Amino acid sequence: MENKVNYDPSFAEEVFRNVDAGDEIKMCMNCGVCAGSCPLREHMDYPPRQIFGLIRAGKREEVLNSQSIMLCTSCYTCVVKCPRAIPVMDVMHGLAHYALKQGYVPRKDTAAFGGEFWKQVYRLGRIDEKDLPRRVFFSGGLIEGVKGMLNFMDIGIKLMLHRRMKLLPEPKIKGIQSLRKMLDKAERLGKGGAIA
Amino acid sequence: MKYFLYWGCSLEGTGANFLVSLKPACAALGMEFEEIEDWNCCGASVSYAGANDLAIKVLNARNLALAEAHAGYDIVAPCSSCYIQMVKVNHEIQEDPELLKQVNECLAEGGLKYKGTIKVRHIQDVLYNDIGVDRIRERVVKPLNGLKVAGYVGCQSVRPYGEYDSVNKPVVEDRLLEALGAEAVPFPKKIQCCGSGIFLPEIDYCMKLVKNILEDARKHGAQLISTVCPMCAMNLEMYQGRINDAYGTDFDIPIVYLTQLMAVAFGMDLKKDAALNYNIIPPEGILQAAIG
Ligand code: SF4
Ligand code: SF4
Repeated sequence: MENKVNYDPSFAEEVFRNVDAGDEIKMCMNCGVCAGSCPLREHMDYPPRQIFGLIRAGKREEVLNSQSIMLCTSCYTCVVKCPRAIPVMDVMHGLAHYALKQGYVPRKDTAAFGGEFWKQVYRLGRIDEKDLPRRVFFSGGLIEGVKGMLNFMDIGIKLMLHRRMKLLPEPKIKGIQSLRKMLDKAERLGKGGAIA
Repeated sequence: MKYFLYWGCSLEGTGANFLVSLKPACAALGMEFEEIEDWNCCGASVSYAGANDLAIKVLNARNLALAEAHAGYDIVAPCSSCYIQMVKVNHEIQEDPELLKQVNECLAEGGLKYKGTIKVRHIQDVLYNDIGVDRIRERVVKPLNGLKVAGYVGCQSVRPYGEYDSVNKPVVEDRLLEALGAEAVPFPKKIQCCGSGIFLPEIDYCMKLVKNILEDARKHGAQLISTVCPMCAMNLEMYQGRINDAYGTDFDIPIVYLTQLMAVAFGMDLKKDAALNYNIIPPEGILQAAIG
């Protein structure tokens, strides 16, 4: 009997070359331990194991549009459980970064949050906890921004009343210029973006 | 014993009760801290949305290089997310000379260089292994008298290298709680993720995770939940009202940092040192009753 396997290596090769930690999936034996242990598995369209299967099957659109690659809470459960020592979490992060770079936005809110987070690191060298949510909320426009602010106002007020909000704006670190040069260089030298 | 204390971006803000209580509690045990001059953010866990992996490594390597250039103390990171970022990057750099070279090429843009000699430690690690439960027990003047505490470890506090505790069955936090006179209740969800840094954008999914953790702690008789991570503390404490609204539950469980309990058991000032007034769900009543 003929053994028919749908295998299209083109996308897998793209992932190996361009996605941070993407080549790690070569060792995956599809046992499903990662999927079984993931805290957000029930909300994932394709749990990690299936994502890796889809990559091997050449399903580029499904993978880069997948909700799950942006639903990772970074809990490391899959990383400590994988019998093949695959850094599953790093692959999920790598895929999410790659998808965003290619113009896919699997989870809008998390993409905005993570994007603003990094912009703030780049701008200040540190995070300003009261400024960040504001920027995240308003990144989707004025109306969404006001809604978001109102929605979290109770929490902000409680934190402030309990001295858990730094009131002064976070200043830039002294070495911000040199930090930016380092990060720019890393962006040029590392993987994670361009299709090659 | 001297350490660098890397408190990251949240311990002067949402995690302020951690930093405020940590300093006097650790000083009482003979620990001395220094700040890494001009440290930067660790990138937490969502930076991947904006940066590639190498940039996140370089971000952390800058702190390691600054620490190394100044003095070789171990870095203690109370925030589990900071800890895990730094420990992971440090491991990867130390195990891969090619990567170290690449990272140094980037650090050179700012005149820095990292040799790879620094150690990154979690606060539980130094308390358990450098100080030890015996010395902590000796320092206790107001034992917590069997107060039932769920020692919530969370996920990032012990992972992924298992440097000081089991990644699947951690015990260090419970031993530290017991040294203070508390009873560490068994609590299967102690390493279940709380949603970590994506709580804000994925609030509906993450609330469910927290609800499960709170339910489990209560089912096992916990009067308090203790944590060692500002994100765990924030997620477990701040959203209890919303969880009650969404699920019809009635949670009102104080969430305290291990170091707050230390300050209390060491007989320190409940406000100035233990920072109990920083908590939104007040733990004073339960703690006062325990220490008598
Ligand atoms: S646990 Fe590891 S080997 Fe198993 S499916 Fe997941 S990534 Fe593959
Ligand atoms: S690290 Fe991410 S993918 Fe892995 S188990 Fe945790 S949430 Fe799931």
